[in-house]
Amino acid sequence: MKIVVTIKQVPATGADKRYTDDLRLDRASAEAIINPLDEYAIEQALRLADAGAADSVTYLSMGPDQAAEALRRALAMGGDDAVLVTDPALAGADEWATAKVLAAALDRLAPDVALMGMASDDARGSLVPGAVAAIRNVPLLSYGAELALADGKARIRRLSAAGYDWIEAPLPVVASVTDQVGEPRYASLKGIMAAKRKPMETLSLADLGLSADALRGGALTRVTEARPPEAKPPTERIENLPPAEAAAKIADWLAARKLI
Amino acid sequence: MSNDILFLAEFSGGAPARSALELATGAAELAAASGGSAVAIAYGSGAAAGAAGLGAAGATRAIVLGDEDRPAITYAPAVVAAARDAGLALLAPATPNGRDIAAAVVGSLDVPAFGPVRAVRAVDGTIEAEQATLQGSVITISRPADGAPTPSVVLVLANTFTPAEGGSGSAEVVQAPEAGESALAKATVAESHEAEAKVINLEEATVIVAGGRGVGSEEGFGPLRDLAAALGGAVGASRAAADAGWIPYQLQIGQTGKVVKPSLYIGAGISGAIQHRVGMQTAEHVVAINRDPDAPIGEFADLFVVGDLFQIVPALTDEIRRRKGG
Repeated sequence: MKIVVTIKQVPATGADKRYTDDLRLDRASAEAIINPLDEYAIEQALRLADAGAADSVTYLSMGPDQAAEALRRALAMGGDDAVLVTDPALAGADEWATAKVLAAALDRLAPDVALMGMASDDARGSLVPGAVAAIRNVPLLSYGAELALADGKARIRRLSAAGYDWIEAPLPVVASVTDQVGEPRYASLKGIMAAKRKPMETLSLADLGLSADALRGGALTRVTEARPPEAKPPTERIENLPPAEAAAKIADWLAARKLI
Repeated sequence: MSNDILFLAEFSGGAPARSALELATGAAELAAASGGSAVAIAYGSGAAAGAAGLGAAGATRAIVLGDEDRPAITYAPAVVAAARDAGLALLAPATPNGRDIAAAVVGSLDVPAFGPVRAVRAVDGTIEAEQATLQGSVITISRPADGAPTPSVVLVLANTFTPAEGGSGSAEVVQAPEAGESALAKATVAESHEAEAKVINLEEATVIVAGGRGVGSEEGFGPLRDLAAALGGAVGASRAAADAGWIPYQLQIGQTGKVVKPSLYIGAGISGAIQHRVGMQTAEHVVAINRDPDAPIGEFADLFVVGDLFQIVPALTDEIRRRKGG
């Protein structure tokens, strides 16, 4: 049973981020981390490996050369090896292009489970898991609070309208998990040392049989304008008032906006 | 290529989701600008009988894919067949189900994806999407790249469009095209566990009273429920409150919970961490009640009330009841 966890290097949460003059995200300007939601996918994969349900855990990332740092950090948490897909043509890749590249790399790695975080910190679509599943023509099990593997099938526990369901599909699958799988482990010093010796392969688009043309220059979308949000009126404050008076002021505020 | 605007219309339990009605109206608005028709792609229990009724909210035609409740992703191959070369845009709700289907369309048809958007327009024969990105610090305007295939897939947050009321039109129900074989159809529900208490769909609430760590306990949500009831709204929570077991995860707002866009959001005992903020930053009006005068939520709330939520929330509930009754 082979699991490949896809991880993305993103600017640190809360870091100063901006768009460059050519309307791409300036990835050099901020401290980079593993996308926090991908750490839950890593944790889920390592738990399955710890329990003997998975034989190997490979990490896969697409990004600039520096994304190798994110892969090393993941390897320090556990797992066996890593693959970095890096190519100048991938700068500014959108979710569609990312899915194309990851799908091609997954074709080569042929895992039983391609495991992903439920979203990335710096792009809010959550489209990569489903797009990869469609491109590879394998089932999608998304938004799992838990992933289980048995009898040639994968299962996820997923919130339903009022409770939860176990949804299952035959392997191989693409699965995504939420932050309910459990807190990601920290890398131990031993893990950090061991990670330095774990194999890491670097692939280009050509290695995957893809071309910049086939990826339409990396994006099917283009940003035509990036600007700061509209200035909001300053926050109004109510302080140091007895509860009844504060409540009356809040009610006045709501009434003035026709909210009550 | 046509200038039609397609939209996903999810049904369950015999009725359309509110998102289906909102997107019908949104699609009709865009179609009026693009010179096409608003076309529903309906699935789930109640779709067969209810699809024509989407005409009242703006749909001109409706394609019914199936009438049973099963994992939404299993409808994706049929959505792909219905969307192929079929219009300018496909609007999908920015919910887990809507995103899964949208993603399958993007991967299958190599079409552009936008969203979640805070506004979408049909201009110059194409689609223009307005998004808040980088955790709200940047607003971007995007369009499909030149020559990109259609339809553009657009994720739309709940409450972005208001369903048209009083319409009496009926959508023409048309045959669904044959869907190809796909592994996406293989997911099945192996077990279903329903909670005893019915949980409201938070995405559909127009008023939300949310509690966080400061609420302190399951019982602490009582005063928040009373305030929500007085306002005709729903109760939500931060991840801390859901993790503590004070409230079901279905009511969690934030990056890994629901993304909500109510007209009024009241946060009590919520500090306003970035992960929560991304789930509610598009609320029209934000009121925060917190003991800590330096809580981050005070920096982006419209009204920040510094004080003890256990005193202020009940007092506010009384005040609103008094005004409504008077």
